[in-house]
Amino acid sequence: MSTPPLHIGAGDPSAPPAYRGGAFLACQQFMRNHAALAGFFILLLLGFAAVLAPWISPYDPTALKLSEKLLPPSFSHWMGTDYFGRDVMTRIVWGGRVSLSVAFLVVFYSLLVGVPIGLVSGFVGGRLDNALMRMMDAFLTFPPLLLAVAIVGLLGPDLENVVIALGIVQIPVFARIVRGSTLSAREEVYIVAARALGASAARVVFSGILRNIVSPIVVQITIVFAGAIIAEASLSFLGLGSQPPDPSWGRDLSEARRYMGDAPWLIIGPILACMLCVLSINFVGDGLRDSLDPRSWRAKTTGGSTPRVPEQVTP
Amino acid sequence: MNTLAYLARRIVQIPVVLIVTTLTIFIVVRATPGDPVELMLGMQTSPDAVQAVREKFHLDKPLYQQYLIWLGDVIRGDLGSSIRLNRPVSQMLGERLIVSLQLATAAMLFALLISIPLGIVAAIWRNTWVDYGATGYMVLGFSIPNFALALILIYVFAVELDWFPISGIGSSTSRGGGVWAFVSPFILPAVALGTVQTAYFGRLLRSSMIDVLGQDYIRTAHAKGLKPAVVIAVHALKNAMIPFVTMVAIHFGYMIGIQITIEYIFAIPGMGLAVLTAVVNRDFPVVQGFTLVIAIFFLVTNIIADVLYTFLDPRIRY
Repeated sequence: MSTPPLHIGAGDPSAPPAYRGGAFLACQQFMRNHAALAGFFILLLLGFAAVLAPWISPYDPTALKLSEKLLPPSFSHWMGTDYFGRDVMTRIVWGGRVSLSVAFLVVFYSLLVGVPIGLVSGFVGGRLDNALMRMMDAFLTFPPLLLAVAIVGLLGPDLENVVIALGIVQIPVFARIVRGSTLSAREEVYIVAARALGASAARVVFSGILRNIVSPIVVQITIVFAGAIIAEASLSFLGLGSQPPDPSWGRDLSEARRYMGDAPWLIIGPILACMLCVLSINFVGDGLRDSLDPRSWRAKTTGGSTPRVPEQVTP
Repeated sequence: MNTLAYLARRIVQIPVVLIVTTLTIFIVVRATPGDPVELMLGMQTSPDAVQAVREKFHLDKPLYQQYLIWLGDVIRGDLGSSIRLNRPVSQMLGERLIVSLQLATAAMLFALLISIPLGIVAAIWRNTWVDYGATGYMVLGFSIPNFALALILIYVFAVELDWFPISGIGSSTSRGGGVWAFVSPFILPAVALGTVQTAYFGRLLRSSMIDVLGQDYIRTAHAKGLKPAVVIAVHALKNAMIPFVTMVAIHFGYMIGIQITIEYIFAIPGMGLAVLTAVVNRDFPVVQGFTLVIAIFFLVTNIIADVLYTFLDPRIRY
């Protein structure tokens, strides 16, 4: 039996005098992190571009115009045109629509399944916990990208199947993180107290435990999101994701590869877009990790003294 | 003693996990639509021919019997043979595994070569331009997909400069021409594959070095007059390497799986593309044999990582 930690004393003197909510303080911390803030705005910009693609892109992403094929970058085509005369910039904006929505759905579905599994496993414990975790282990005996490739190979090459495959691959990741956090939250005084007062299991789980394990989940979401962007691009690159003529960063790179000798600019755009996206998510994730952990606020270390390496993601 | 007991328990668990894994794959592969025999022979073949192939591969039997037959064969060391290629799976596996391991080793060597100096230098000159440069490199390394980096490398070093070949791994032409002919096709794929790991490892080593450099025994080592280089190389690095070595073992397992896009670009006959082809063709024996070996490989590298961890840090006990 581990004894729950006791908090004795009036708090420390450097605490702010007026009470501020945790969310407010976390936001304040986040705003101070310039890289995270920049990442957040870039992400916002990419998101707007993706949503507004039909209105802001000057060309049709799929219409063929062979008279304008493989044009180098110019004022009318900022990133040139591809082999079929389609504007590369336009396709990148539309490809972002695909990438971001796939990543959103992957996060959504893996949360939807993984979080309840982790909560039940950690809260109920015992044999159920053991069974659920062995199942998750079976998933984890396989390199994630290869598992996703195999699942899409079985279901057929298609964006929906990419979402399913990547979602399945990420379920055990969320389940394990939530289970671990639930196990430690379960022993906290406030949870023990709530249960002693006769709160129902559902109430304890939702308003007690879930609220207090939000920050590891949020940080993991950013890692999964960035991983999903790269994984979608990888699968599309292998021809398993979005099918021609639909735009996609991975798919377009795969096509650009064939004309690399004549039109090297074709590979630059999708790569930069993908990197910019992943980079800003990583910055936001790092910022969230720091701002959601009150212990790191005051001890402003000069460069992260604890080893912080993100969980391996696909790929 | 505790560690040994822990190790024994982990090893005993391997067969259980493997049975769950292979059974899951077995069911999923067969439950999804797609028939290997029809895919291979086409629709117009006579029913007799189809039936003959089915019987040969036990596809006419109930599912649970098929699994038990397969499991029994595996225990006796027989992975069966490919439905499509009519070759023993173990033979195909042997060829592919060697190529994949070679590529993973090359990528790992590259990752270590870059990340160890990078991590050390960034930790020693923390918060200087050296550190910022190293961290900047690591951040970029995290963000670029390996196949995208491969395309850039191909364009610069193969198309424009023509320094390295872009194919030739596992082909017979690379055998006769000496060491360079064998090594050169690995360079671009290894760099493309290993760059993400240079970022992971560099970041990990940097932060664990910073941790160690703040410890009392480092101050003592400096105080007793040791040269800074000795303190860093002997006292600090040795201890900072503990989490690092564990991570290297785990990532070696991952590399086999991440390879597939690199195999695709450089036309490398590795495990990843073989799994993809087999899954698409519903070549059941190949899918099962390959997934079994990959799962074993993954489990073993993880256990090695755990064992290394306790071995290197006697404070850790399970």
